[in-house]
Parts: sequence; C-alpha cells; structure tokens
Amino acid sequence: EKHLVLLRDGRTLIGYLRSIDQFANLVLHQTVERIHVGKKYGDIPRGIFVVRGENVVLLGEIDLEKESDTPLQQVSIEEILEEQRVEQQAKQESEKLKVQALKERGLAVPRADTLDEY
Amino acid sequence: QSLEDCPLDEDEDAFQALGEEDEDIDQFNDDTFGAGAVDDDWQEAHERLAELEDKPVANREQDGPSGEDSDLLGEPEDTLAERLTRLVIDSELEDPAIMQAVQTKVPAQPGGLNSSIWHSLAVLRRIRGPLLTQEMPSVSVLDYALPQRPPQTREEERDPSERALPRRSSSPVIGSPPVRAVPIGTPPKQAAVPNFNQQILCPKPVHIRATMPQRYPAPYGERMSPNQLCNVPNSSLLGHPFPHSVSPVLTHLQRAQLLGGAQAGRMSPSQFARVSGLVGSPLPSVNPKLLQGRVGQMMSPASGFRAFFGAPPAPSQPQPPPGPAGSHLQSLRPQSQMFRPDTTHLHPQHRRLLHQRQQQNRNQHRSLNGSVGDRGGHRSNQQERKDPYANLMLQREKDWVSKIQMMQLQSTDPYLDDYYYQNYFQKLEKLAAAEEVHGDGPKKERTKLITPQVAKLEHTYKPVQFEGSLGKLTVSSVNNPRKMIDAVVTSRSEDDETKEKQVRDKRRQTLVTIEKTYSLLLDVEDYERRYLLSLEGERPALMGERKQKICDMYDNLRGKAPGQDRPSDDHFMQIMCIRKGKRLVARILPFLSPEQAADVLMATARNLPFLIKKDAQDEVLPCLLRPFSHVLYHLPLGTVTSLVQQLTNLPQSATASAPTNLHLTAVLQNKFGLSLLYLVLSRGEELQSSDANTELMQDNQWTELMLMATRELLRIPQAALAKPVSTPSNLISLFSRYVDQQKLNLLETKL
Repeated sequence: EKHLVLLRDGRTLIGYLRSIDQFANLVLHQTVERIHVGKKYGDIPRGIFVVRGENVVLLGEIDLEKESDTPLQQVSIEEILEEQRVEQQAKQESEKLKVQALKERGLAVPRADTLDEY
Repeated sequence: QSLEDCPLDEDEDAFQALGEEDEDIDQFNDDTFGAGAVDDDWQEAHERLAELEDKPVANREQDGPSGEDSDLLGEPEDTLAERLTRLVIDSELEDPAIMQAVQTKVPAQPGGLNSSIWHSLAVLRRIRGPLLTQEMPSVSVLDYALPQRPPQTREEERDPSERALPRRSSSPVIGSPPVRAVPIGTPPKQAAVPNFNQQILCPKPVHIRATMPQRYPAPYGERMSPNQLCNVPNSSLLGHPFPHSVSPVLTHLQRAQLLGGAQAGRMSPSQFARVSGLVGSPLPSVNPKLLQGRVGQMMSPASGFRAFFGAPPAPSQPQPPPGPAGSHLQSLRPQSQMFRPDTTHLHPQHRRLLHQRQQQNRNQHRSLNGSVGDRGGHRSNQQERKDPYANLMLQREKDWVSKIQMMQLQSTDPYLDDYYYQNYFQKLEKLAAAEEVHGDGPKKERTKLITPQVAKLEHTYKPVQFEGSLGKLTVSSVNNPRKMIDAVVTSRSEDDETKEKQVRDKRRQTLVTIEKTYSLLLDVEDYERRYLLSLEGERPALMGERKQKICDMYDNLRGKAPGQDRPSDDHFMQIMCIRKGKRLVARILPFLSPEQAADVLMATARNLPFLIKKDAQDEVLPCLLRPFSHVLYHLPLGTVTSLVQQLTNLPQSATASAPTNLHLTAVLQNKFGLSLLYLVLSRGEELQSSDANTELMQDNQWTELMLMATRELLRIPQAALAKPVSTPSNLISLFSRYVDQQKLNLLETKL
C-alpha cells in the first residue's frame, strides 16, 4: 500500500506508489514528505510526486499496522522545520571541523554530493 | 520523413503497395547511410515499427478477400530482406549490436500449423491488455484474434498520437484516470519484437535492438539446445509429461522466443501476451511447453538458468502449471484457476513468503486498497470503491519491469561484478551453518535473490562490412568502439624542475607502484578460487602465473635494483610511509617466501624509528604485527638475532659507551615497536627453550643484546613505556637468564 521512498538528497516521501518503470521512476499519490529530527517528525502533504529514478535510494512498503506504533512523536510543521534548521547548522559546524582536520593531514575526503557530479 | 507521414494514408489503399516500395527504399537508404544507421533508441524504433506495421497489416486485413495486395505487400518485403542479407557480408559471427540494426529474413517456416500460428501471433500483438484480461473468455486464440482485429486497427489508425498506448475500449476500473500520454518508459503494448514474424510484419528493416537474427542459434545453441532447455524446466518446474508430438512444431517457436529473450532486456509485455495467448489455445498439451518457452524466455539461454529455481516448486504449486504465468491466463482459461503472479524467478523461500502474504491479505483485508499489488480481476469491484487510482499498472507491466531488473542482474562472473554481495552472503551462510550446528533453533529464512548466471560468451567481433559501399564503412557500436582520443604520455625530463616537483613526482611514483602491486596482490589472492574452478590441465599454468606475480610484487616492494646488491631500503621506505603501503605490505607478507619475508622484516626493523615518526598520524603500523608474528614463527636463530640487533640498533661490536640508545628508546616508546620487540624476544626465548644445546646461550651477541635490552627497559620510566599489543608470557623466563632477581622484579612490574 503505502510506500516509503528515500531520496538521494535525504528527503523521505511517503505515498501510494502508483507506477514504476525500469529506471525506478516512481509515481506517488497523496504524498507526504516526512522530516525527521531526533525523535520528532513532521509531515508536509505534497500531493502527487513523480520521482526520477536516479534520485531514489530506497523504496519500501509500509506495514500499516506497524505504522501506528512508533516511538516517534509527531509535531507541527513549523516546529519540525525549525528543528531541522538547527540540526543542519550543527552538522555544518562539525563538517567544517572535520574538513579542517583532514586538510592538515593532507587528505581531502570528497563530499558525497560532489562525488556524484564528477 | 517518410515514416512519420506514412500511417495516415488510409485513403490511398490502391497506391499503398506501390508507394510503399519507394518508401521502403528511402527508409532503407536512410538506415544504411543516413541518420537512421545506428539507432540505439529501441523505443523510438519500436514506435516507428509499430506505425509501419499497422499500416500494411491493416491493409492486408482489409483486403482480406482480395489477396492481391497482400501478395504485393509480401513481395517487396521479401526482396528487401533479401537485399539486406546480400548487403551485409561476413555476417556469420557478427557484431550483434550491428546485426540487430539489420534484420534478416526468417528461415523458411514450416507450413501448416505454424503458419497459422504466425498469423495469430502477428495478430496477437495488437491485443491490448485489458481485452486480454477481461473480455476474452475461453475461446480459442486463433478464432478470436482474427475477427476482432479489424475494428481494433481501425481505431488505432485513427489515433496516431497514441501509438504505443492504444486507448482502452473498456477500463478495468470505473473512474479510471484518463488515458495518459505516452511516457518513454511505458512498456510497449504493441510488439517491439516481431522476431518471428519478420517477413509478414516488417516490410522495412528497422532498428530494434530486441530482435535477434535467426542466424544466431550457433552461440546459444552450443550450450544447450532449446529442446534441452525446455525439457529441463519441464521436469523440474511442471512435473508434467507432455506429448512429444507437439514438440517439433513448438521448438521452432520457442527457439525464436528464446533467442528473442536472449537479448539484453528488451522483452515487452506484449510478448507475454503473445505467448500466454497461445497458452490458452485449445491444445492443452501445448500449454506446458509454451509456458516453458516463456519461462525460458525470461532467462538467458545459457545453462545457468537453473539457478533461478531453488527447490523444485512442485510442492508449493498444487495448482495447474499455467497458473503462475500471469493474470492474462485467467481470462483465457476457465475461471476456476487461482491467480498467481509470476514469481518463478524468485527464490522459493521468497516466493513462499509472498504467497503467504498474499493469502493473508486476501483473507484479512478484503476491502483493502491495492496500489501496486494486483490482486486479480475478481476483486476489482471492491477496489473501485475504495481507491480509484489503484491498479494503474497492470500485472503485465509489473512483470515487465521486474523482468528487466532481473536481466540487469545477469552476470557472467558474479565474483567480478558483485564481489561484496557474494562475500557477504557467504559469510552469512557460514554463520548460519555454524549456528545450526550448535543448536536446532529455527533457521532464519534469509531470502537471497538468486540471479541467473550466464556463461561467458567469448566472441571476437569482426566489424561489419557493407557490400556495395564505397570504401570501408566503419560503424562503431558497443562491441567495436571507435577511438575517440589519442592520449599520449609524455614524460618530462627537464632539469630545471624544482625540488618540490621532484618530491611530488617521487611520491606519485610510489603511489603508482603501490597501486600496481595491489592489483597483483588481488590477483594472487584470487588464484585460490580460480584454482578450484579451473580444469586439471590449466592448474600448473595458474600456479606458475601466481608465482610470477608474487615475485613481481616483491620486486615492486623492494625496488628493483639490477646493478646493486640492494643496499638501499629507500624504495621500501617510501612505500611504508604511505598508509596504503603499510596495509599492502601486511597483506603481501603471507605470500612471500621466508627469506623475502625476513628481508622485509629486517628492513622494517632497521628503519623503525623513522617509520614510527611517519606513522604518528596514521597509526596503522600495528596492522603489521600479525603478519610479522607469523613470519617470526618460522625464522631461524641467526635471523632472530640480527633482528634484535636491528631493532636495538647496536653496533656489531658492542661498545657499551653509548649512553642513550635513541633507536631503542624510540622503539620502546611506540606501541608497535614495543610489541615487535617483545615478539622477537619471545621467539628467541622459544628457540632457546625448545632446543637445549642451542648456540644461543653461547652466542655473545645475543647475550649482549639481551643485556642491552634489559638495561634499556629498566631505564625507561614506566610512563614512557608504550602499551604493547600483547605481552608474550615467556619474556620473564627470558629475562631471568640474564638479570638478577631484583631487576627481574622491576622488569616484571614494567611489563
């Protein structure tokens, strides 16, 4: 029934999978984008999504019974977006420090997104 | 050009045939010389073909009673095909990528029954999914196909904009969404592959990748004749004896199907329709064979497809065999059959799970929406109510997509293509086996996707040559690529290079050496597996190769110095300075001969402080400990002595005046160094204790070294002493030979 799609940019989409093809292009119906931060999550309704296959990382079916018993807490959209922003900032800080340390060692770890667009 | 205009000339039936020949020639020229020569887009090609075929076939149907046009039509097609075959010379072992672009004529078909089958096949292609699934009760395929065709084609022709996706005359679901525009990924409803209807349906050579010229049975036939292929699954899959009288007729069909299916992944649901349409024919005995043919179609014609089926599915399929073939069968046979999606290509455990789940779903969730799950026609009424958007994809389409994905997984050498996956599952299986030995807990079903294994095809592709062309036409294809860039390596040997550059180059050289040696190492590590797989006769050769590679590796490590006596460790040091180099050495050591390994060890020990300094950031030296200890285990006394000497860096004649031995100090203060030292000492102790009258005790050198070592150990404050990886137990006994009790106690505390 409902499927959960993880995209390459980290977004999580949940919707009814209507159609696929050999490239894993997907058509999702009544899609909801779910943002997770820590234990909280928020849903943003999006409608119909057509996803190009190359951006799909994973796709899985949601067990509707299990969907209801989850330790995660659902919050409003504004709140979750705020949380996400905070988390992104923290990540960027730590990333910067890491890159600094690596530069000292003479290594340069390529970041995941730059790898894709070589 | 002419292609796009063609389909709409409905009015000019009389002129059709004649005009067609001109168009044929135009098209033909275009194909050979012009833009259409190498057309890799099979989907466009397919659409074009579909348009083309609609026209002549439709005409033929319309002019059924008057057979003139059909004859006329038949003729240009034949001559064209003949012309083509004449044009391409040396086409026996040809580049398949090119040959597909140039279709050939089907060899003479057997008459009678087959010709009617051909026709019905031609006609079946027109059949649309929904019609098949729902409106065709158990009528013979041959019967229902023909009369229905004309109205369909008329409709189709009026709809040029919807070539690939004909409008549904009846929607399976009330309120289904409007007809969608043709996306490029839509599995074609019309035939992409008229591979055995060529002379009927294909007036022009069109570039369809999926077709296979009939000349090709050779490479595939060698492995297993289609007969065998069909017989094998018959016994394992269906457990169904079938009359052999039917086989000659069908083998041809199946061979064509198999060959068609052998193409890398361009099967379409229409092929399914075609085959399964035939399955519903009044000849019940035909069914198993055809099913096999279709099943065989899914897999490569090579022998490995047996891997598809784990356990024989007979026990899990009490239903009559054609059940698994797909939903369209349901319509053609009596409705009593249970619908089962085609899961024969999945692992039997997986399949069982799937079916179980389906059963559960059916029982529990009667009114559940099915978005992707296709639960069968009889439930469509219930589904409409809840989810009007469900079942947008037909089962056929889903099968098509999953079949493509399975085809993508075909691999001639899974170890090469999918090394980590294979290893991972081997480890898992070993674990499971180990667990099973211990207890009889229920074994967890690990669903493993069994992928078809295609035997390697070794072909040298000769480039295609066209007759009648001026000069040599080179058509580049996948198997015969054209050279794009001329990359020439120029080494600069300027003297005014800066020192920095030289250093950089040197480092790069080292990196290159490391990479080369790594490739050799991977090969050598792989030899064991190849050994098992190879034939008896080839084994000595393999061994020889392996030895050679090992020597090469060693040379790479130490740096080939033809004139010298190999006094410099420089090359080796360079390698050891790089983290990857250290790892490489650790992996190579097991393969080296004892002398070579000892050599490596010595070099390391000799330069240990330097290495330690360089390793400060990486801290990867300890990875060398294990292989070193293995090596040490086999070392003789003399070597051990010199090793210790290297480690402690004592001059040959012990002048004890050196107050601080920096070398040894550094060694002792480093984890790796200390551990290595301990290992060496321990080895020496072992040798001593094992052999009573060994010379070691009498060896002055050894004694002095030991004294030195103990003195140093005592001197260094506890805090500065590194923490070794492991402290061998016999060190105490070793030291006890050389020092008195007091010092021994001190040493003990330090260790």
